[in-house]
Amino acid sequence: MDKLVAQYSRPSHQNEFYSEQEQQDLSESTPPLSLKFNLPPVDNSSAFLRAMTDDHSNPSCPIKLAHGTTTLSFRFQGGIIVCTDSRATAGNWIASQTVKKVIPVSRLSRGEDKPTNEPTPGLLGTMAGGAADCQYWLRYLSQQCTLHEIRHKRRITVAAASKILANLTYAYKGYGLSMGTMLAGMTPQEGPALYYIDSDGTRLPGNLFCVGSGQTFAYGVLDAEYRYDLTEREALDLGRRAILAAMHRDAYSGGFINLYHVKEEGWVHHGFDDMNPIFWKTKLDHGEFSNVTSEL
Amino acid sequence: MPGFDFSNYNRNAALHARGVPMPKATSTGTTIVGCIYDKGVVIAADTRATSGPIVADKNCEKLHYIAPKIWCAGAGTAADTEFTTALISSNVELHSLSTGRDPRVITCMTMLKQHLFRYQGHIGAYLVVAGVDPTGTSLYTVHAHGSTDKLPYVTMGSGSLAAMSVFESMWQPDLDREGAIALCSEAIKAGIFNDLGSGSNVDVCVIEKDQPTQLLRNYMKPNERGHKERNYRFPRGTTAWLNQKVISKEDMKKYVTVETLSGDPSLAAGEKMEVDT
Amino acid sequence: MTSLMDHPSRGETIGYSFSQPTAAPVKEHSFYPYTDNGGSTLGITGSDFAILAGDTRSTSGYNINSRMVPKVFKIGGDDETGEGAHILLSVVGFAADGNALKERLDTVVKMYKYQHGKSMSVGACAQRLSTILYQKRFFPYYVHAILAGLDEEGKGALYSYDPVGSYEREQCRAAGAASSLIMPFLDNQVNFKNQYIPGSGEGHALEPKKAEPLPQETVKQLVRDAFTSAVERHIEVGDHLQVMIITKDGVEEVYHPLKKD
Repeated sequence: MDKLVAQYSRPSHQNEFYSEQEQQDLSESTPPLSLKFNLPPVDNSSAFLRAMTDDHSNPSCPIKLAHGTTTLSFRFQGGIIVCTDSRATAGNWIASQTVKKVIPVSRLSRGEDKPTNEPTPGLLGTMAGGAADCQYWLRYLSQQCTLHEIRHKRRITVAAASKILANLTYAYKGYGLSMGTMLAGMTPQEGPALYYIDSDGTRLPGNLFCVGSGQTFAYGVLDAEYRYDLTEREALDLGRRAILAAMHRDAYSGGFINLYHVKEEGWVHHGFDDMNPIFWKTKLDHGEFSNVTSEL
Repeated sequence: MPGFDFSNYNRNAALHARGVPMPKATSTGTTIVGCIYDKGVVIAADTRATSGPIVADKNCEKLHYIAPKIWCAGAGTAADTEFTTALISSNVELHSLSTGRDPRVITCMTMLKQHLFRYQGHIGAYLVVAGVDPTGTSLYTVHAHGSTDKLPYVTMGSGSLAAMSVFESMWQPDLDREGAIALCSEAIKAGIFNDLGSGSNVDVCVIEKDQPTQLLRNYMKPNERGHKERNYRFPRGTTAWLNQKVISKEDMKKYVTVETLSGDPSLAAGEKMEVDT
Repeated sequence: MTSLMDHPSRGETIGYSFSQPTAAPVKEHSFYPYTDNGGSTLGITGSDFAILAGDTRSTSGYNINSRMVPKVFKIGGDDETGEGAHILLSVVGFAADGNALKERLDTVVKMYKYQHGKSMSVGACAQRLSTILYQKRFFPYYVHAILAGLDEEGKGALYSYDPVGSYEREQCRAAGAASSLIMPFLDNQVNFKNQYIPGSGEGHALEPKKAEPLPQETVKQLVRDAFTSAVERHIEVGDHLQVMIITKDGVEEVYHPLKKD
């Protein structure tokens, strides 16, 4: 209570307009993706945030954030496959079916994301958990990677980039961030490298990860078929097939299949395709999904 | 013990404790009013039924029959008002048959309050009871917990304040039939436009001694549906389908008796349903 | 009558045969700084325009605060008239947060122009709005924002946001109270979801109807029809429909009447 009194007992003119610092923030042409955040005037800000935004513990919370996903990526002899669905949900509501959950991280490849056969250099990050958290912090990471590139005249390693993100999420531990991210990239120092980072502060290198509400379905397919010596064609098909399985069985995943291949020269986009025709093609051509009936 | 079945109560309470939301009952977040005049009494209601912020029924009937000269306007949980009034209507009729007299409004009101009090407010029925009987004209409100009021003009439901503002500014002790109808419908309109729980049309019921009771359904329609600017009729074949199953008359004859009606379509249609156009 | 007496009275705990949930029920917070002011907004883009629309009713609970509170704003224009604006913002949810957000973005867009001598592009403005929203990640603006304008190629651009700044460019988006009523309609009528071309093939060869930018007049009709329908079935939507259309010639603003019950 004393805190509240202290907060509001300042002369009112001091609260009237933006503070000098805020005015400066507003006038800066490129605002830093700063680490200064507005906190609610309560003792336990994360409990407040949870009461307002966590629809799992409180289904009738006023602010519903975008959630829910299936993302996967795995290393194989030809590089790294990254594949995601495209659905965003807020509670039981499908907020969007066209989310781009693979976010290019690095100066050279940022912004442009047109399907092309020319590999684009840089890292790829995936998005699971809070959509805003992932978008914002991967953008922040992108900035840090660019600065690294300028300072050291060479591209950042995936290990270093993932550590920046993990340190960041660890610093914000307990504040209520929600993200499960995979960073994939190929550098001369490391070769193909894949890391998993989440909002608890976990950072794991590995060969194969699935993240999100549909992860178990994707693991089921991936673990059955995965080998390190897959050909490029096989690897792309496997990634697509694993995501398809998750989209089919997980209500919080669906929409379009977003497929990327990370190679030595950079990443290549292999399409953002509606799951529906792919599903029927898989079913009819390969006789899979026989639980779905159709006379046609 | 006839009455409510509590067999799922424990299960539902446990589920609710674990975060499963309770099913939403359609409530008539409503405006209902009543007003007496020199020769009788008028009650009126809006016609919107809501489920949360969604309009469940745009033209529902909130004026319920109790006896030929006793009618009831209901607010609160739609099912509760419907069944409570139906139950009391039944009991009032039995009572009047056994006594051989016309039912009295106070009898009906007492039966309602005793029934509702017994259930401690769990039956969410908020009622305006009005009628004419051998003792004269009467108008009551009955709350879900069982309390009652007897007043010359009353309002209830979520729009009660809006409606009461009309009564408090325009009500006079010497109203005639037309004046009472106009005042009641004006009060309902105040509810329709200023309370989000109320909307659509005005229903009015006029009860008078020596005159048949008049139910003026949709007495006013101040909220006609807006027209659509585009045509949303899909050409045949727009929808994709996976399976088809044709059930022929011969197939059905294996399980049920099939009778073919004559060509007259009015016979086959059964009771025609009221639909929005 | 006895059967009634057997039931535990209210307030008495019921003995369950299974364990009680360990997590305490959601705590009531005395600090609740949000109100839902209802209302709905909607945006659709075309090849050379973008439309943002919203109803003008402001509610709290079952009450109407006002029948004329516009939700669509011109950003970066004159304070009084909005002249010179080239970006539109609609905010729905908590009106106070919405206004604060609009003021913030307006200031940012103006400062940009003063410092760089050129107008902010919609893409840049979209990203800036995202960071503004994320600055309050731990004390969010209770709003769903939609931003509209024309991109560098002159095409209609529409960006939609969640309360903490996740954003995406889209063809169409509905937000607010009646979004769950309007969005499926837009999916079907703008992106032609679940519509196939009759007679284009048998079974799985049936071709889906391809979405393409709609002409301005069609979009205007769709917007008005979406709202006349939303008004029928949602109690928090009504009174007036505010429509803003942004083209290369500037911003046109029109109001249409809606039902007031």
